[in-house]
Amino acid sequence: MPARLKPTYRVGADIGGTFTDLVMTGSDGRTWTKKVLSTPDDYSRAIVEGTVAMLRDAGVPGSAVSEIVHGTTVATNAILENHGAKTALITTKGFRDVLELRRLRVPELFSLFYVPPKPLVERRLRLEADERMSAEGGVLRQLDEKTVIAALERIAQDGAEAVAVCLLHSYRNPAHERRIGELVRKRLPDVFLSLSVDVLPEIREYERTSTTVVNAYIGPIVKRYLDSLSDGLRDARISGRLRVMQSNGGVMSAKSAAEKPAYIVESGPAAGVVGAHRAALAAGVQNIISFDMGGTTAKASLIEDGRRSWTTEYEVGAGIQLSSRLVKGRGHAVRLPVLDIAEVGAGGGSIVWIDRGGALKVGPQSAGAVPGPACYGLGGTEPTVTDANVVLGYINPEGLAGGAVKVNADLAHRAVESKIATPLGLDVQEAAYGVHTVANTNMIRALKAVSTYRGRDPRECALFAFGGNGPVHAAGLAQALGISKVIIPPSPGLFSAVGMLGAEPEHHFVQTVFARTGETTDTSVERDFAEVEARARRVMAAEGYLASRTKWRRQADLRYTGQAWELTVDASAPERGGLIGTLVELFHKEHQRTYGHHAPGEEVELVNIRVSATVSSAEGQVNSGMAKASTVTRKRILSSRKASFGRLHGLLDTHVIGRSGLNAKPVSGPLIIEEYDATTVVPPGCTACLDGQGNIVISLGAGG
Amino acid sequence: MSFNKRNFDPVLFEVVQNGLASLVDEMALTVMRTAYSGVVKDAMDYSTAFCDREGRVIAQGLTIVLHLGSFPDAVASVMSKFKGRIYPGDMFIMNDPYGSGGIHLPDIYVIKPVFVSATSAVPGRSKGIGRARSVGVGTDHGLHLEGFAGVVAHHTDVGGLVPGSNSTDSVDVYQEGLRIPTLKLFEQGVPVQPIFEILEKNVRLPDKVLGDLRSQIAAAAIGERGYQAMAIRHGRLEMRRYTEELLDYTERLARAEIMRIPDGTYSFTDYIDADNIENGPVVIKATLTKQGEGILVDLGGSSMQVKAGINSPLPFSKAGVYGAIRLIMDPSIPNSAGYHRPIEVRAPLGTVVNPVLPAPCGARGITGFRVMDAVLGALAQAVPEKVPADGEGGNSLVTMGGYDADGRPFAFVDFVAGARGGRPGGDGPEGVPHPGANIASIPVEIAEAGNPVRIEEYGMVQDSGGAGKFRGALSQVRRVRCLAPEAVLQLRSDKRLHPPYGLAGGSSGSPSMNIFTTAGGDRTLRTMTQLPVRRNEMISHFLAGGGGWGDPLDRDPELVVEDIRNEKVSTAHARAAYGVVVESGTFKLKAGETQRLRSKMRKTGLQKQADTRQTVVKKTGARAARGTGQGT
Repeated sequence: MPARLKPTYRVGADIGGTFTDLVMTGSDGRTWTKKVLSTPDDYSRAIVEGTVAMLRDAGVPGSAVSEIVHGTTVATNAILENHGAKTALITTKGFRDVLELRRLRVPELFSLFYVPPKPLVERRLRLEADERMSAEGGVLRQLDEKTVIAALERIAQDGAEAVAVCLLHSYRNPAHERRIGELVRKRLPDVFLSLSVDVLPEIREYERTSTTVVNAYIGPIVKRYLDSLSDGLRDARISGRLRVMQSNGGVMSAKSAAEKPAYIVESGPAAGVVGAHRAALAAGVQNIISFDMGGTTAKASLIEDGRRSWTTEYEVGAGIQLSSRLVKGRGHAVRLPVLDIAEVGAGGGSIVWIDRGGALKVGPQSAGAVPGPACYGLGGTEPTVTDANVVLGYINPEGLAGGAVKVNADLAHRAVESKIATPLGLDVQEAAYGVHTVANTNMIRALKAVSTYRGRDPRECALFAFGGNGPVHAAGLAQALGISKVIIPPSPGLFSAVGMLGAEPEHHFVQTVFARTGETTDTSVERDFAEVEARARRVMAAEGYLASRTKWRRQADLRYTGQAWELTVDASAPERGGLIGTLVELFHKEHQRTYGHHAPGEEVELVNIRVSATVSSAEGQVNSGMAKASTVTRKRILSSRKASFGRLHGLLDTHVIGRSGLNAKPVSGPLIIEEYDATTVVPPGCTACLDGQGNIVISLGAGG
Repeated sequence: MSFNKRNFDPVLFEVVQNGLASLVDEMALTVMRTAYSGVVKDAMDYSTAFCDREGRVIAQGLTIVLHLGSFPDAVASVMSKFKGRIYPGDMFIMNDPYGSGGIHLPDIYVIKPVFVSATSAVPGRSKGIGRARSVGVGTDHGLHLEGFAGVVAHHTDVGGLVPGSNSTDSVDVYQEGLRIPTLKLFEQGVPVQPIFEILEKNVRLPDKVLGDLRSQIAAAAIGERGYQAMAIRHGRLEMRRYTEELLDYTERLARAEIMRIPDGTYSFTDYIDADNIENGPVVIKATLTKQGEGILVDLGGSSMQVKAGINSPLPFSKAGVYGAIRLIMDPSIPNSAGYHRPIEVRAPLGTVVNPVLPAPCGARGITGFRVMDAVLGALAQAVPEKVPADGEGGNSLVTMGGYDADGRPFAFVDFVAGARGGRPGGDGPEGVPHPGANIASIPVEIAEAGNPVRIEEYGMVQDSGGAGKFRGALSQVRRVRCLAPEAVLQLRSDKRLHPPYGLAGGSSGSPSMNIFTTAGGDRTLRTMTQLPVRRNEMISHFLAGGGGWGDPLDRDPELVVEDIRNEKVSTAHARAAYGVVVESGTFKLKAGETQRLRSKMRKTGLQKQADTRQTVVKKTGARAARGTGQGT
């Protein structure tokens, strides 16, 4: 397909704890991929170098790149690994412990030993400003600037890099908070400043403070990172707008992301879900559990009836995110919309160890990219899940990513033998299979969290597996859960990067209005909407989106006066009863639908109005391009090696093929499918074939 | 420990078990989302449960432990009173502790019988995940009673002496508000209007009470729908089979856990300072006899029922015993009634833990907490590695109610909680509530937006955690100012004369305190009291601090330094209680001096009960030294 017009290119870049994945698609439909080791000292380096290499492979100049969409775990890792910025908090006098006392309620009902996570700001850096607003926004006590100055001296002494400010009732009257912001700017011009009114102007002091603090805690790290990435791209003469994947599945500009990093805490994982959602629909599958296993963590999300699931009650750093909305308190509250993803700390790089009781444990410590699994020969000596998979013969004993990553099977063998097999009195194969099984048990918790824990039967879903290690474990996990179908998309190891190219720019704007529907008018609400839309248009223009491709949607949050929670209804199409009449009518209906009752006589309150803007993107063809790109070779059987399948099957001679070695006709396992970016294991008793989208489909169970 | 049943599908078992658990969670979420009062929607003082057709709890929402063991009695009252007259579309209501399974009047139960069509007995998969056609509910034949969806919520007001209806001053249940025996609230789908009207006319805040009641009705309906959907998917009889299995499975796990407790008899006596009407401590005694895989808990020796409203009806006391024993078991045991089976509870009639008419019980929460504490005190002797030192003793209730400047009624029911004791291996965490009631705090901003009150301070109190190798949690102070022209203040607190005890050589936490600030100055209020307040007057409630665990002289000095740096412990307290000396200003540890001071303190035995009391609390110091819980 010779392109007459000069083609442009979009790059998707996903950083994981171990690998950085890159995907590029051209407007001519061609696709390239690249997988490089992450560079934890400066994660952006891997992106720049990888992109340069990929452009070289493709013979494309950097100036032809129109957009780089980026997903990153930099923000989450900073929280999970407790190495965010040293952060201070300024709050209203008398309330500095709100952050530590949280909302009291704990996620474990029957535990005498539950300990909540440490607050992200230590008590000595939670400082108080003498001031007070009333619930109506009136000034009860003028801001005593001397107390702020004193606090800033303390912060300067302690060397905090970030300052969060959250005052009582600032969502109603931000004057004092803004003034403190000015004073911080003046005295400490270099700190990362995060005001609660900018991050989340919403009532409830703990949730607002926590969200603001999370924003501050990760702010300097995310900003440094995005700056260095922008500089690196510029120096490499790669043009194009840099956009960042948001936790909600949309993308935003790098500038917005640097100001509000709390919006990108689940950036990487969200991309995978967006990609899985698109790919599943393309394959005609409505119900899937997306399963993304990388080097550090494994994540699961449910797509039900073709729809993604969301939550606004997210907590970052909660370890396993069971995401039951009643089980709160394990992490730090971030009250922003997030795709609903369950996560456990088990990945290929997870370190395997033996606890005091002699039990075999996997993770949550990860060997990361450096030193990485023992088999990478980069100095790691602790055995990891990947080392076990090498010992078992699942992973190529010589190299990964087309040889870019060298594998030394002896080192894997030695690590598993000395640290696990010998202490437990097992042979090496048994020990490695034990590691593989324990890792599966951990990951099953994430899969159950989004299925059986919610009364959903995983057996009615397909397991849609990706991530560098997902396809190695997927069939075993499916077997354990009784799932009969596993789907492995093309470029599974780079799939989150693919997902990014499928995500649409999406921005949400909200304004709290607080009006009783009986007391306000259509004109007044129309005016409020118009103001928000004007603001939204300015933002979208600044982000560089064409108005002609932007889709707008109006929504409103309403509740019965006295309730604490709102329901969101569509406000785009007022009917004959007028705007407010329509909203109230829709609210009664939604209340009935959601909760099974409504109260027609009760007064209804309009709380928030919402405007969302999405930009339609033209990237429907990512997948078919990918299918070709990931074709390694046309030879059917590349090689053969011994792979171990537990006590039942033992060590079996197993054929190794490329994805192109498969077609629509099912082939029986055992089988290993090696690709540039991932390895798929098809155990004995299962079959594998290729569907029309280039997906590997593994069928399990009877007749397999 | 295995199932060993024919045709038993372990995956389906897990789907049913977790499906029920998520169903009751969904019910709980519905209440939270649609309720009107702060007590329910913000503090989350309510619970949900699903019982099988015999009234046995097969799933409990993740809410209040002390509510949960009480559902069987509520459902039993429905089953006995309406035997043969329970129809599809019915819904029941009750709150009366005397004969209807209630636990105190503000806790109103809504119980919905759940019917499933006989045709759903055929297992089959519908399209989509966990979805099902709705089941027509009518009076047709072929509908089978398969269970009960229950919701209990703490209502803001049910009439009686004070706004909030949790007076400690009532002398009988008739002063506490509206008593509702077990009645039909809906009869075959039709609301029984008179009940709604009587409720409306007998409570101070009918909008909130009726709004919360609607949320309970909605949640019960969600419970019904959800169970019906499961029955259609998995089969009605299969659901019976697997829920039966769930009860047995829970019982097996519970028995295995109990087996690990050394056989023997363990006894513990705990105290409630006073009841505000009759002086002197109220005694709660638990004698726990463990033999094989069963436990008998005898609450004999507890005080006779008292005049004030802290009598704990038997279902509530039983819930306390079940809850305490559950706390030393593996937390992953399912929340079904199966774990009650190996536990027998005895409580003599006419005592504060099994009162008879007309004993008032509005503030019985405190007694429920103390029942749990007494049982835990006994368990601490049996399994010391599993039980922390004493905590704050359950949430304090600070209620302010009356009429605002515009004459609109209000009742602000505030919860102050969260100071656990030190435990083997770690400090008592701050802000983690008593395990009996996993309540949430009411956000300051929400409190002020909805009530004529201002919260002037909410934070931790330095030096208030009991000293120990592992420190007790710091206490909290919450100051509430009245902005209404006048109101009634009701306090329910405890642990001033008997502050949270330490274990294994740890010191007690600081005692609780109530300071009342008026134009005329400050004065101390009793632990339980009610009094009129006027505009701008302020109540400051200090929670008790958690007890310490282990000898404070064994505490890692660096942990003490960390506490000093975070202003949780003062340098003076560090020296007096922990024998730790630091450089002034930099707070760096003076290792040599610390070592010398500690060895001197050890040798001379000068190390005494640390003075953990905060300045304002000192006034009661002399009395506070007196009591700690005593093992007997």
